[in-house]
Amino acid sequence: MTPQRKYGTWWTALFLLLLVGGVLLIVSHDFLAMRVDLPIYPGLGVTSTAMLSDYFAPLKGTAADTMAYILQGDEPGGTAFVLGGTHPNEPASSLAAIVLIESARVTRGRLVVIPRANRSAFTCSEPQEGYPQTYTIETANGSREFRYGSRGTNPVDQWPDPVIYINAAGQSLAGSEVRNLNRSYPGSPDGNLTEQLAYAIVELIRQEDVDMAIDLHEASPEYPVINAIVAHEDALNIAAEAAMFLEFEGMQIGVERSPDNLRGLSHREWGDATDTLALLVEAPNPAQGRLRGRTSVELIVEGIDPFYVRAAQRGLLYVPFFEAGHPIDERVGRHLQTIAMLLEVYNEYTDKGVVVVDVPTLSSVLEHGVGAFLLQPNTTNATN
Amino acid sequence: MTIIYQLITVGIILLVAWNLFREKRLAEQMAAALVLIPLILRALMIR
Repeated sequence: MTPQRKYGTWWTALFLLLLVGGVLLIVSHDFLAMRVDLPIYPGLGVTSTAMLSDYFAPLKGTAADTMAYILQGDEPGGTAFVLGGTHPNEPASSLAAIVLIESARVTRGRLVVIPRANRSAFTCSEPQEGYPQTYTIETANGSREFRYGSRGTNPVDQWPDPVIYINAAGQSLAGSEVRNLNRSYPGSPDGNLTEQLAYAIVELIRQEDVDMAIDLHEASPEYPVINAIVAHEDALNIAAEAAMFLEFEGMQIGVERSPDNLRGLSHREWGDATDTLALLVEAPNPAQGRLRGRTSVELIVEGIDPFYVRAAQRGLLYVPFFEAGHPIDERVGRHLQTIAMLLEVYNEYTDKGVVVVDVPTLSSVLEHGVGAFLLQPNTTNATN
Repeated sequence: MTIIYQLITVGIILLVAWNLFREKRLAEQMAAALVLIPLILRALMIR
């Protein structure tokens, strides 16, 4: 048996320690950069802003505190609420909310928009998924970066995960769901950070007397609830009528009733805990699916994936999937047109209407690209 | 609770670093150095 060679000395240990320090500097810079909010440029329609901690003070100074943008019309009316960025790995959700902030105007009533619902989840990405930290949208005046984050609250902000999570509504879930905002409603004032965040959002709905609340999401193409509006039973008629008109306009969309026995989700708990009409909208995002190929910025933005084309040919998906894929322009356009239609239908049945104008339609976003409806990076009134 | 977690992590970092300097096999030293990276990121709550 040959003796094992030993080349390790104090000097090699010291050299390796310095190497560790160098690696730490580089990766720390990358990870910490994700904690800086990328700018949003409020358009002329935004009349004021508020923090979520204004509705639930203990959130102040935490990673979960996030900005709400308020678009107040001249004419009195009702209040609508759009929540984007519940799951930052579903980018069309946040981006559609940002387009409303930067493009839309309200002539009657009020629109409250939160584009980064789970702000903490924007500060990390999912381990082992290979997600980029940002994606880029081209505007007329250059590129704009947006954060691609995680489904759940950053574990640095909320730790540890239990083996089984029982949420405030009594639903038993897998332990990791403890950091999922859309499993934590109606939240709890003395719960963990995600539950406090959920509680603050429900408080906003209560305190602002929100008449209609819309939660924006995306789903993988193999997930059954996709290209759909999920509606609390109180909002089911409005969802069904809106879906019918959207179909007439050539946009395929289904309606699902919020299940009574799946507790903790926005479309169930917002409707049960408050007087609002609770709705959730889903668009197809191949970047978050299990059948996807290489995970890249191109996949997020262009939505093209040959593996999903093959899966569609074998009948494995719940949405059509062709070579053109499902680009983010289409997904944001779907969300915007659905929001506009839901409000239009709602306005027919109430005296407290909310009239939002300059909301881009699906066809206009497809024609011009979502970047055409975003303000330019050199605009001076940016908020983080 | 987080501070206890951080203290435990710092304890493990010190043990691994001690091992790094006592170890005579270069491959083992490299393994110890590699282990230090995620531990330090956790102790500093960076990742």
